[in-house]
Amino acid sequence: MEKRIQHSIFYSHTPAEVWEYLTKPELIAQWLMPNDFEPIVGYDFEFTTRPMPAFDFDGHIYCKVLEVVPFKKLSYSWKGGPGGGKITMDSIVTFTLAEKDNGTELLLDHSGFRILENADIFSAMNTGWLQNIQKIATLLNTVTNGSTSI
Amino acid sequence: MDQQAFDAFQAIADPSRREILRLLSKERLPINSLVENFDMSRPAISKHVKILEGAGFIYIEDVGRERYCSLKKDGFSALQNWINYFDGFWNEKLKTLGTLLNNKNK
Repeated sequence: MEKRIQHSIFYSHTPAEVWEYLTKPELIAQWLMPNDFEPIVGYDFEFTTRPMPAFDFDGHIYCKVLEVVPFKKLSYSWKGGPGGGKITMDSIVTFTLAEKDNGTELLLDHSGFRILENADIFSAMNTGWLQNIQKIATLLNTVTNGSTSI
Repeated sequence: MDQQAFDAFQAIADPSRREILRLLSKERLPINSLVENFDMSRPAISKHVKILEGAGFIYIEDVGRERYCSLKKDGFSALQNWINYFDGFWNEKLKTLGTLLNNKNK
């Protein structure tokens, strides 16, 4: 089970230029979502988008700035839910910038889906299925071997 | 994002329900055995089990007088779908950013 999202993309612009688009609210809004971001560690901000009541999502993504390393790294929490302070999605978004070939390699990591990582269930589930598949495979082999030996 | 994915997230937002899933990840258990692992009444556990069943995490089977619970793939798949949604979301947004950067220089 995949627990994190990672994307790596190359921009033929300097890290300083890319950084502007990650940290200036009016520029962030142009490619991501309307927001009241400020590049200050501990700062609480929100992204706002279309609410989807049918999906228990109030259209707000509640964030807190976790790390700011100018032109290199930016990280914030990413939480959301049906409203009334109820959080059902709790994750972390991290942007890492590296200068490369006269441009910037941007790495996006969306992870720390708390509920997923705390639960060993997922690996257990995967192992469980694998064991079941192996059991079936063994059974099939037994049958096949049985029939060939006849 | 679909309804089931959000239900799935809400279902496992509760620590007791995560614990139930953890116990069931080892073996199929009757509700009565689950109750023994918690400082909660049987009705309280039954309620959690019902929520997990509703979100597609577990499957309930009546065997004699016992109600056996085992893990079901659907709830987990819903979570995976939801992560896939954000995967696509970021892919699209980062491309938009590239277009913006390119237009800036023109």
